[in-house]
Amino acid sequence: MGLLTILKKMKHKEREMRLLMLGLDNAGKTTILKKFNGEDVSTISPTLGFNIKTLEHRGFKLNIWDVGGQKSLRSYWRNYFESTDGLVWVVDSADRLRLEDCKQELNALLIEERLAGATLLVFANKQDLPGALSKDAIREALALDSIKTHHWCIIGCSAVTGENLLTGVDWLLDDIAARIFTLD
Amino acid sequence: MAMRQGNVLLDAGENAVEMEDLDEEDFAVSNSSDADAAFDTVIGNIEDIIMEERFQHLQQGFMEKYYLEFEDSEENKLSYMSIFQEYIELLEKDIEQQLTDRIPGFSMNTFIHSLQQHKDEVSGDIFDMLLTFTDFLAFKEMFLDYRAEREGRGLDLSAGLVVKSLNSTPSPPFTNTCTASQLQ
Repeated sequence: MGLLTILKKMKHKEREMRLLMLGLDNAGKTTILKKFNGEDVSTISPTLGFNIKTLEHRGFKLNIWDVGGQKSLRSYWRNYFESTDGLVWVVDSADRLRLEDCKQELNALLIEERLAGATLLVFANKQDLPGALSKDAIREALALDSIKTHHWCIIGCSAVTGENLLTGVDWLLDDIAARIFTLD
Repeated sequence: MAMRQGNVLLDAGENAVEMEDLDEEDFAVSNSSDADAAFDTVIGNIEDIIMEERFQHLQQGFMEKYYLEFEDSEENKLSYMSIFQEYIELLEKDIEQQLTDRIPGFSMNTFIHSLQQHKDEVSGDIFDMLLTFTDFLAFKEMFLDYRAEREGRGLDLSAGLVVKSLNSTPSPPFTNTCTASQLQ
């Protein structure tokens, strides 16, 4: 690691957090990002690159990174791991067929060294859809209870209606804040 | 200012001798004021390095190489991130090389170590400037500005009059070469 990277880590600004939002394609990552930012979510197309939003919430400056989830893009995720305080894993709760894929991708992230210190928030998204699995069913399908390496929490939400997005982000902020800012 | 003192040491031409002495003392009982002076010398040099025209040429050359890749759209291409990482690496390597050339016996590892020891004192313009190199959004903005300038769209006044090419291949409409060849 070079001078600039180290300097950046050292000068990690107080009350500033970096959140990385990942998940399979069509999970709703960009919709969550835009909804949370108060933007229109009616015309969102698949993300082929990545989006960044910087926003203020509860006196924290949040830098939220949302990277496309298509299979061909997942090998690029690693470029975004550095300095991540919180990992937001977004799941399409109605996409039963890909839950195994979803579980494997998440497990692969959890063994990444550069994400070792990050808090994990799982959004069981699309709870507004009739065929959606409950957050408990998702919790079981992804075997979240076996995660011992990270602080984690699963929240059922709907990016389209905005339901529970705040609850999730608030939990994430509290966990990160308790971890980082009490050390100083 | 402490940084200035570092420069004075250098300008006096005695720094070579002094630095060697300091290195030895670092391993013995540390004399805090001497260690501080060594630290300040490095800081002063970094300041010089990044203010120099040579350094700006380095940045400009890099932008020249990649500016056509950057587009003014909200979603970022995945390629931006690898270009960003290449940029940071380039600057880090250059700063390290320059410091090695300028300060006899300079070791980046030693400096980074003392940087971490001086954590609380590390402040000021020089660090803010170094940190802007690690800010992705500032990086993207820099490229978009550079591209706008290269394509003759530098002035905001002209924003209403921009002629955009209909085909997807980026062809700068206002470059001199284009006009010249048409005239001949």
